[in-house]
Amino acid sequence: MAIRFVDVHKRFGTKEVLAGVTLRIEDGECFFIVGASGVGKSVLIKHLVGLLRPDAGDVFLGDQEVSRLSEDALRPVRKRCAMVFQSSTLFDSMTCAENVALPLRKHRRMAMPDALAEARRRLEAVRMERFADALPAALGDGLRKRVAIARALTLEPEVVLFDEPTTSLDPVSARRTDQLIATLCAQEGVTAVVVSHDLTSIFGIADRVAMLYKGGVRFLGTPEEFRASDDPVVRQFVRGEAEGPMEV
Amino acid sequence: MSPGARGLALPAFLGRQALALLTQIGGLALLARDLGRAARPESGGLDRVELLRHLYRMGVRSVPVVAATAAFTGGIMVLQAAPFVEQFGAKDFVGFFATFVTFRELGPLLIGLIFNGRVGANNTAELATMVVTEQVDGLRALAIDPVSYLVLPRVVAMTLTMVALVVLGDAVALLGALGVAHVLLDVTFAQFLDSALSRLESWDLLVGLLKALLFGVGIALASCFYGLRVRGGAPGVGRAVNASVVASAAGIFITDYLSTFLLP
Amino acid sequence: MAEAIPTPGSSAALRWQLRQTVELTARTLEMTFPRQGRSAAARRALATQMHSVGNRSMPFMVVTMAFIGAIISFQTALQSQEILPDLSQVGATFTKLLVRDLAASVGALPLATRVGAGIAAEIGSMVVTEQVDALRMNNADPVETLVVPRFVACVVMGTVVLVIGGFVAFGAGVVVGQLAFGIEARTFASTALLNGGDVALGLAKCATYGGAIALVSSERGLSAFGGSEGVGRATTEAVVGSCFAIIVLNVLLSTAGYFLLPAL
Repeated sequence: MAIRFVDVHKRFGTKEVLAGVTLRIEDGECFFIVGASGVGKSVLIKHLVGLLRPDAGDVFLGDQEVSRLSEDALRPVRKRCAMVFQSSTLFDSMTCAENVALPLRKHRRMAMPDALAEARRRLEAVRMERFADALPAALGDGLRKRVAIARALTLEPEVVLFDEPTTSLDPVSARRTDQLIATLCAQEGVTAVVVSHDLTSIFGIADRVAMLYKGGVRFLGTPEEFRASDDPVVRQFVRGEAEGPMEV
Repeated sequence: MSPGARGLALPAFLGRQALALLTQIGGLALLARDLGRAARPESGGLDRVELLRHLYRMGVRSVPVVAATAAFTGGIMVLQAAPFVEQFGAKDFVGFFATFVTFRELGPLLIGLIFNGRVGANNTAELATMVVTEQVDGLRALAIDPVSYLVLPRVVAMTLTMVALVVLGDAVALLGALGVAHVLLDVTFAQFLDSALSRLESWDLLVGLLKALLFGVGIALASCFYGLRVRGGAPGVGRAVNASVVASAAGIFITDYLSTFLLP
Repeated sequence: MAEAIPTPGSSAALRWQLRQTVELTARTLEMTFPRQGRSAAARRALATQMHSVGNRSMPFMVVTMAFIGAIISFQTALQSQEILPDLSQVGATFTKLLVRDLAASVGALPLATRVGAGIAAEIGSMVVTEQVDALRMNNADPVETLVVPRFVACVVMGTVVLVIGGFVAFGAGVVVGQLAFGIEARTFASTALLNGGDVALGLAKCATYGGAIALVSSERGLSAFGGSEGVGRATTEAVVGSCFAIIVLNVLLSTAGYFLLPAL
């Protein structure tokens, strides 16, 4: 499913975070949104599932304008477009299996035992079956994130939004997560929108990259073009230099 | 500040307070309306798994503290009344007084306050934590309505639990009262029971249960409301809990007062 | 860490909480009367806490106690109609009950909700955000800097608030007696049954409850762990623990009062 942002504006108090973002993401693409911390990457993707509403502009998911839908009308949208949060947002009163079983129970109308059995199969896919009965609080960041990914994929969405999926993960877990995302796009035809500043992920699996800077899109292109860009701000970001023109 | 503005400081303060109060009452009413919407089957209806979990956590696990409090309070009630009972020679009335006061006032009020502190505060803290750690957004992103999944089972569980705990608390308080009446005033079990049964009307018990129901709904709505509208990270959770228990306690006393006069 | 923290809610956890509270009480009492007098900073902290416990609880307590006074007066008069030929004694009985027990014991429960939740949330957030550790690193004893001012403020201002609350409840009771039962305010506002022992017992209860609220809530706050959820849990346990402490202390003080400071 293709995604379009058309001149999206969003401000929090006096701070204008998005000052007219226009962007088109193609069907089945593995698309990375990068930028310095606090530049509004998470803010941008939360508009796709109605967790935030734009002050002005339109957000299209496929042919549907989603930014002005009611909570009730957003429900079918959210089944087709899943989100993996930066903080995983597993429900800490439930075990990992119960977390994954919840959407099955609510949307597929499965009874608890069936949903739990299905949840275990889903956890196997992310190599988490050993932790099915553990509470999320007992797991580290990387493991929690894998459960969160399994939960987001339960309803077989067409679009998955990943908010910093590899941040705070060790390098091995990070590359495994990359692999999982790449497989989703290549084999299942899922559109993945990944917010990240992990350069290894970008150059490893991205089809295209957009860099947000000062409320707008500063760069848009392939990872090779990103690496070779002669824009001083982009160059500073790619090389991770402390000194330069970039304002944070 | 100009002299004119200083003169208006008090009315401005009162106005702000009144507006804040009205905003909160309005928010509560909106939550109650959303609950009605959330109960429809197309929103997901009442989640039985969650309902059972909350019934256990809120109800079963509150039994020890409610029973202990009720037993002590029943005893204190007779202890305080004992000198007057002796002075007025009203031994035949002890059973009736104890049951009447327990059923109509003390049982619902005291257990309401304990319930507010234990279950209401806990509920606010839990929901507020879920908001602060984005778990509620996570729920919405899974296309699950937070009001239907989080609030509705909690409100139903809290209301049922509160009524059940009041029934239990009433019974235990009366045992406490009977114990002290027996030791201090030589009132026998038969006297106590006879006094209660001959004068008490079933209406008295009903009023108490009705109060319990109102308190339960009130505490449930307030604790969910303050939990869901938390602002400002971890310190916000503490503030939300504080606001919730204070608002519920005030609500309990005001409801109690009104029902004392309106339900004779 | 020397010992593992028991699972919350278990009986081992309750015993642990009790022991911690007793230890904290001893250390607080020891530091409440410093040999070298109080520093300017300590006096400022004390003033802040007194303002928070006293002034900032007043609106809530006044409203609550007015309703409580009205309810008690209404029920006392209503029940007395059953056994007494005239209602001239009701006022004196109401006053005596209020002074001897109810103003302190019933008023302390909402006070515990308001103040106890605040203390636990405040200290608890400081613990989970490692501010208490920072205090320790600067050689400031958390008990001395955090608990002592709250303890003194609760004992002093708690008593003041409860006494004022008692007067408010008394006033509300007189109004209800006049309006609902036609008892002359002059007859109703009678101190005929009151003696010095009643006042002493009432004041002792106020001060004890105030101190208990501060200590139980501070202990829960200092034992908080695990982020905002831990702060919420500490707050809940502080309110329930304070209410329970008040009820148990009431049994002890009322029993002692029954024998040492006879009512009649």
